[in-house]
This record gives sequence, C-alpha cells and structure tokens, in this order.
Amino acid sequence: MADSATLTSRITDALGDAVVDQGEARGTLVIRVRPDAWRSSAEILRRTLGFDYLSFIAGIDWMPAPVVGLVEGDTSTPAQPSDMTFGVAGSAGRFQVFAHVQSTAQHAGVTVRTDVEEADPRVESWVSVYPGADWHERECWEMYGFVFEGHPSLRHLYLPSEFEGHPLRKDFPLLAREVKPWPGLTDVEPMPGGDDEAGEEGTA
Amino acid sequence: MSTTEQPTTPGFEVDPAAFRHLADAQVNVELDTGDMILNMGPQHPATHGTLRLVVRLDGERVIAADPVIGYMHRGYEKLTEFRTYPQVTTLINRIDWLSSFANEVPFVHAAEQLMEIEAPPRAQYIRTALTELSRIATFLLFLGEMGLQVGALTPAFYGFRDREHVLNLIEAATGGRFHPNFNRIGGLKDDLPWGWISETRNVMKIVLDACDVFEDLVVGNEIFQARTRSIGIIPGELGASYGVSGSNLRASGVDWDLRRDGAPYLAYPDLDFQVFTHPDGDSFSRYWVRLQETRESARMVLQLLDGMPAGPIMAKVPRIIKVPEGEAWVETENPLGQMGYYVVSKGATGPFRVKIRSASFSNVSILPWMLRGVYVPDVVTILASLYFILGDIDR
Amino acid sequence: MGLADSGLLQKPAAKPLTWLLNYSRKYSIWMFQWGLACCAIEMGAALASPRYDMMRLGVIPFPASPRQADLVVISGTVTDKMAPAIRRLYEQMPDPKYVISMGSCANCGGPYWDSYSVTKGIDQILPIDVYVPGCPPRPEALIEAVVMLQERIQNEGIGNDEMRKRWLGEPVNVG
Repeated sequence: MADSATLTSRITDALGDAVVDQGEARGTLVIRVRPDAWRSSAEILRRTLGFDYLSFIAGIDWMPAPVVGLVEGDTSTPAQPSDMTFGVAGSAGRFQVFAHVQSTAQHAGVTVRTDVEEADPRVESWVSVYPGADWHERECWEMYGFVFEGHPSLRHLYLPSEFEGHPLRKDFPLLAREVKPWPGLTDVEPMPGGDDEAGEEGTA
Repeated sequence: MSTTEQPTTPGFEVDPAAFRHLADAQVNVELDTGDMILNMGPQHPATHGTLRLVVRLDGERVIAADPVIGYMHRGYEKLTEFRTYPQVTTLINRIDWLSSFANEVPFVHAAEQLMEIEAPPRAQYIRTALTELSRIATFLLFLGEMGLQVGALTPAFYGFRDREHVLNLIEAATGGRFHPNFNRIGGLKDDLPWGWISETRNVMKIVLDACDVFEDLVVGNEIFQARTRSIGIIPGELGASYGVSGSNLRASGVDWDLRRDGAPYLAYPDLDFQVFTHPDGDSFSRYWVRLQETRESARMVLQLLDGMPAGPIMAKVPRIIKVPEGEAWVETENPLGQMGYYVVSKGATGPFRVKIRSASFSNVSILPWMLRGVYVPDVVTILASLYFILGDIDR
Repeated sequence: MGLADSGLLQKPAAKPLTWLLNYSRKYSIWMFQWGLACCAIEMGAALASPRYDMMRLGVIPFPASPRQADLVVISGTVTDKMAPAIRRLYEQMPDPKYVISMGSCANCGGPYWDSYSVTKGIDQILPIDVYVPGCPPRPEALIEAVVMLQERIQNEGIGNDEMRKRWLGEPVNVG
C-alpha cells in the first residue's frame, strides 16, 4: 500500500492547478477539482499516475431533504440536520459528481470530486478515458439529471423510459412515505437488565 | 473449377456458369441474410434473473449486444436516506442475495470507522468466518450452475446439495439461511452456538471433497473445456478500466485481491492465504479461479476456527446509534467482486447519502464490448462465467 | 365447449369423475421455471435440493415457457419496469392456471414498501391464489403453500362453481 502522504503529494502535483480543495475521508483521499478540468484530471490520473481501475462515478446532492411524515418521538426514522453543509472537500453548491479510481498495481485509490451547476448541470464525460464510465454516467444522469457532454447515448438505465423526474435528488419525494409514515414506530423503553446492549429500533 | 455439362431442360433458361458454381464443393454463394434482433429476457432460463439482452445477430453471430437492466431496481440509494443505520443493514443484505452476510460487512465497517469504535477480535473472527462461509456457499452454487448453463445437469444438483451443508452452518449461527442480518454496528448480534466449531470443521472437509468432485467432473470434462476455453476473453487492462473486479479480473491475470491488498478489514491480516490468478482471461479460467478460491476459503475458515479468540462479541455502543459527521469509503472483496460503500454522514441517526458500489454492475457493463462476434450459445457461457446477481447490478 | 367449461363436471352426479380429474391434476402441476430475486433461490432450493425436494409432490419445474405451465410462483421483488412483462407472461399461460405469491416483496412490496420503482405487491396486477409470507420464506413454507394449493385444486367443482370459472379464466373468489 502506498504511503498516503506521498500519494497525496504525487496526485496533487500531477493535477496541478486543477485542484481546488482536498480532504480526508476514512479510507480514501478526496480531491476536489475545477469543473472544467474534470476530464483532463481523469486523463492525468489514468495515463500519468497509473490509476487504471474505475470503481464508480456517482452524484451527490447536498441539500437537506424536506422532512415529511415525522411523528413526534419517532426514533425509527432519521431526521437529518436542516442546514446545508458540505463534505470533507467543500462544495460550491448543491450538486457534485464524484468518482473513485484505483490502481491495480500500486493498490492505491483516490476519490475526485467536482461541482456541478444547479441550473444547468453539465459535466464532461469520462467515456474517452475510462470506457466503463458509460454506464455510471447513464446512472448519474438518470438519478440526478446531470448531462454528460461527450457521452455516446445518455438514456435510461434502470428506470422505465416513461419515468419522470430524477429520483436521487433530495426534492424528489418518496410518495409512499408521505401518504403513510413509517409504520414501525417503536417505543424507546429501557431494556430489562441494564442499558449496555445496543437495541434495535424496529426492523424493516 | 470442374466443367460439367448441364442438361438443358426445354423452356428453362439457366446460366450454366451459375450452375457450375453451385455444383462445386466450394460454396461461394452469398446468402442474403438480414440482421435479426433477438431479445433474450427479462424472463429467460439462462440470464440468471431479470436481465434483458437485446442482441443483433447475423446468423448465429452477435454483431452488437445491449443489456437492458433495471428490472430489479429497487432504489436502494434513495431508501437508505430514509432509514436509520440498523435498518439499512437489514436492507443491504438483499443486494447480493446469494452471499448476504458479505454485503453487510463493508457498511457496518464504514459506520464503525466513522464512530471510531472497533468490534472486538472475537467478533471480527466470527464475521470473517461467516463471510468466507457465504463465499463458499455462493461459489458452490456457481460451480454447479455454470455446468448447468453449459449443458450438464448433474453439477447443479451437487452444487445445491453441498450448499445446504454450508447454509446449515450459517443458519445455526445466525438464525437465517440467507439474509441473516447478523451484523450490528460494533459487533454481532449473538455468539456462536455450542458445537458450531466442530461442525464447521466437518463441513469444510465436505466442501474440500466437493471441490475435488467438481474438478474431476467439470473441469476435466472435454466438452466443458471445448465450450469454455477461449470464450469471452477479457484483457486485464481493459477489464480494469471497465471496473471488472474480483475473480473475473484475477482470471485475466491481474493480481489484486482486496483481502490482501486493500485497507485491512476483519481478520484477514491474521490469515495466511493464497490468491489465484490465471493468465488466459476466458470463461474456463474464471471457473478455475473460483474453484481454487472455494478451496482456499475452506482452508481460511479452518485457520479462523483454530485461532478464534475468546471475548465479547459486541463493543460498547449507545442505544440509539448516531454516527458523527464525516465520510467513509470501505471496499471489500465480496464473492462477486469489489463491493464498496461510500457513506456520507451528517451526524444523524441515519446516513445522508450512501453510494453502493456493486461489483456486478461493472462486470456486466463490459458485455457490449465482449459479446461482439460471439456465437449465441457462447453468450450463455459468458453470462454464466461472469457470475453476476441481478440485485447486485440493479440495486 | 368441454366438460369442465360448461360446468357439467360440477354436477353432483359427476363427482367421482371430478374428484379423479382433480386428483390427477393436483399431483402433476407443471411449474413455470422462473424466479425474480432472492426468493427464487429458496424456490430453487425447494425444487432442486435433495432435502426439500418439491418434485415428490408432483410439482415439476420443467417448462421454461409459460405456454406449458399450470403454476407460476412470483418469487421476488416486482418492479414497475418488470410488471408488464409479468402480466404478459401470466396471460400467455393457458387456463386453468394458478399463481403463488412468494415472499413479502411479492405480497405487499416488503422491505421496499417506500421505493419509487417497486410495485407494492403483485396482486395489483395478477390474481393470487396463495400468499407465502417471509423474507425469504423457508423452502418448507413454499412446500406448504403448494400443499394448500393442491387442497384447493382437489375441491374445485365439488360443491362450488370454481372449476368452470378456472377453465374459462374468470375471476375466482379465493376466500
């Protein structure tokens, strides 16, 4: 396993001025690059640094989800904080796309991230660099609405073609939860015989 | 070209040169075939679930293939945003439904990393043993069922029968044949029952014998070799850029196993095991690599049983699990390949975003490239050798 | 019009013949060889594993085509994308046909009750004869469902109008 400090400096040196910010997540280094350097960063990662394995490309929506159907005292449905905070590498806005690439020879990996505009979400496509990006970008478009420029055919992957909306956006409501809140509301009573075991808050 | 005198039938004008052409053994006739579009699935005995393959054929050869997935898309990533951490563990062991225990491990590990707690060593050992048992269970099914796809009925029954022994063990320890939901954040739900360790030793002997049977019955079989050698070759570099992982990539010669090379997790650093690669990259090598890995998993389980530490099986965790703010990425070597969870937490009782990186999704994304120029029966062999689970592709 | 469609077999005089017909039918059910998700593995274990062998009840999972099947077991999650295909497969089966809904995903949506892409229960599009709860139900539970179905088949047309309805494909009150 490569030493993470040298790995960090190698990557940031190679990426140069494309790097906007960086952060440490458990298990991976997170580097945020400029949106117009998304594809060129991929080129550098693959050709120069030898990260030949594409793990995934995904999107993230930092807006806090509107809370619906939450009953007072219900601990079996999580309530997220209502202020918009960004992750370890910061963000310019609501949407980001992030990808994880690894090197099969050096056994190291890195997560790269970039901002995506909310009004007109366009991202450069990685298909010319990593052929496997094809399906990941289709999924990202389908779930978030990001348009990948340079992608051969951006069409539905999981959902039927008549599906409207982008499900993973935080403002896409899960209608079943709005119609009927989580039916597994449990009482939080102390367990008999002490409190030093982790309890289950209702199972799905 | 031989010259033959063709008798002329009165009233039937024919060009003798054309006739001579057809009468010759070297048939140079261009039969005009249009491309046919064949739709395999979503209900098909050979596609392992609800995978739909739309192939464009020229005769029996595939010109282009387009897998249509999503028939098992259940919206996991959206659902995890509405559930607490223990509820998510219940849900995620249905992603790869053949080796359910192995799906929970990376998520629970990620939550534990963010909470900065560590499961006690006994729990780690038991988790590793159960993960390897689910790997054996999956691979036994694969070894039997790939024989079935190639046309042999017997290995399938052997696979199911031997799998029952392993499922017995998993059921004795966790209470469920699969979907055990046995992991808890901080450890495990329960300790092992009496007699489990000696019973496991016996079952591992059965598994090793079963592997020998598969080696004789299937691997040594001429027909199987003729059907699988040089079929569906994945070059290592291309496979990596598509994200193909696990035994599929190792069968193409890439020496990468997350149990040995990735971030240390569970009890793998304490174990002494071998990683198998094969230079060919065809369907046969994928079968061979998984067979060897089954044997190796059985030996690993025996090592784990010998070295099982005593102690608690659950760390001290609060009653209501709140994971502090942060992000974590944990990837593990699941039976299907590299499975990873990228967990973004904002300090609530449930995750903010969970990106589930499933192995079969990337394994299947190479199909459009791989199926060009392949015969239709070989499509079935290739699908069987890649070994994907629809729940893992579609999540 | 055959004996069964016209209701002649339901007359009290024809009871021994009806009984014999149902007896032979219930022990020779041909099950459509198809599974959707995790429950399909338990269904496979029930059929192919020597321990829970379901073939001893006469249920043979030979047909991979719906045209030759009597029984289909919907085992696994039904998504909105898959639902039209399931409906089409069901309609291709010849009458009389039976449906067993296996697992909580097929019964009511199960653990994915709030998903945007899951059909909350296959009974929204197909008529179901037996529901098997569980996630996944044990192979023994599926075998019990088949035994219940066999009891139902045995009693068709004996004192009720079910045989005629099944042969004609009309909706039957499963009560």
